[in-house]
Amino acid sequence: MSKPNFRKIDIDALEEDAFSLEELEQEIGETRPRHEVEALVGSRAQEVRSLLQRGNIGAALAKSLEDPPYGRDFDAAKERNTQTVMDVLNSTKSSDVPQLVKELNPVDQDVLMKYLYKGMASPEQYNSGVLLAWYEKLFEVAGQGCIVRVITDRRTV
Amino acid sequence: MSELPVINEFGQGPITCHAFNKDRTELAVCFNTNVVHIFRKNGNSWDVQWTLVEHDKPVTSIDWAANSNRIVTCSQDRNAYVWTLDPQIQQWKPTLVLLRINRAATFVRWSPEEDKFAVASGARCISICYFEEDNDWWVGKHIKKPIRSTVLSLDWHPNNVLLAAGSADMKARVFSAFIKGVDKKPAPSPWGEKLPFGTLCGEFSNGTGGWIHSVGFSPDGDALAFTGHDSTLTVVYPGTGSIQSIRAPSLPYLSLLWLNSTQLVAGGHDCAPHLFEANGQQWAFAASLDQATKKVEVGQSARDTFRRMDSRGQSSGSNDTELATQHQNTINSIRAYEGTRDNVSKFSSSSIDGRLIIWSTANITKGIANLRI
Repeated sequence: MSKPNFRKIDIDALEEDAFSLEELEQEIGETRPRHEVEALVGSRAQEVRSLLQRGNIGAALAKSLEDPPYGRDFDAAKERNTQTVMDVLNSTKSSDVPQLVKELNPVDQDVLMKYLYKGMASPEQYNSGVLLAWYEKLFEVAGQGCIVRVITDRRTV
Repeated sequence: MSELPVINEFGQGPITCHAFNKDRTELAVCFNTNVVHIFRKNGNSWDVQWTLVEHDKPVTSIDWAANSNRIVTCSQDRNAYVWTLDPQIQQWKPTLVLLRINRAATFVRWSPEEDKFAVASGARCISICYFEEDNDWWVGKHIKKPIRSTVLSLDWHPNNVLLAAGSADMKARVFSAFIKGVDKKPAPSPWGEKLPFGTLCGEFSNGTGGWIHSVGFSPDGDALAFTGHDSTLTVVYPGTGSIQSIRAPSLPYLSLLWLNSTQLVAGGHDCAPHLFEANGQQWAFAASLDQATKKVEVGQSARDTFRRMDSRGQSSGSNDTELATQHQNTINSIRAYEGTRDNVSKFSSSSIDGRLIIWSTANITKGIANLRI
């Protein structure tokens, strides 16, 4: 009889012309060279920090979510950018969160959700309590659609 | 009276696809098996009239050609059959269609003129099938390039030549399915002027990824809408080059239907049909067409409540898994039921919960208009 784990057989391996992850990444991935992306992420971190110092949290949040680095070979830039976003999230009073989330445009809401999941993936590094508070408020505004989009999107942060 | 949704409960398992005949007295349904049941309307109920048994894997899609009264079915067994009713013995006779695909067939639709049909498949191609008089046989021509993954849905342009396809490679595409000898040269449209078979007239992505579950041409064919697994609805106007993606707050839509040139409904994992409306070419979510009210329990006494709490540990009669919507599970197909392509007045939705619901849009448009005032 057939093997019970037949569903785990990689049938695409038998296909010469299978749709590959590389192909997909070519389409949606980052096209700029790595040093350029890293420089961009670095300067953004500076801008966000100065906005935070001036107490302009709304602008700092929007700035930190702008144009996030995607793609496979950008681990350093991704890490740096995550830290930038987390800095903003951690320096926000919890009473301001609902208003800030509402003011974000739908695209930024999806990006924020990506960073919340990313942060919660490493609880030793980031404060999950803060992230969950943001998650709750963001979910109220953006709904399940936002979560589905984060799960489906191959452009991970 | 007729404005309330009409619920048809079959209780035979999930409905994977359905199609009505021209005057809506007969209904072809598949309950996730290899058999297609044809029901005939009998007052308020449906009686089984025929069962079409020829496929040997689950049937994935059914379409009923209204005017020529032919049914086409396709299945995971990689075959499609065209069924015609023999008037003498009143039985449906299958004719095998040569699809030449090596993966499951996923979706089938007759063209508006009913002289050809398109079959989507997991073999990363679309078979455009037409009848060859010489051989007395339905033959298929493949559209392959540049499809990279399973094709999940199709929709015909009203000109009988253009075909939209939504695919698991995150793209919605528009192809020419022009067959020499069957089609007349189509009039130029925003999609292009010269349209030999297989021409790619447009390729669109919703930007965030997610495979495309459903595609639909607007009634005049000059716009294309598609929904993706990323919970977006995208509307494209090739004439002006406008592409608009609406990020829905709900779960992904599996099926969509244009009601007219400025309204469309989409339904899916949220179990309720949602209405989208256009202001010019700007689309926005308007309302859920399901009022979504929890059924009020009638005649429940305190004694009943306590007894229930005692025996089942529940304080209310309905168990907690019941949804507030009419459909209790994912809607997988929405189709026009009454009216013309540019003015659909009723539509039907089928769901994994085994229900088929007929919704009236007269009710809706009035309801929305009231909201605005």
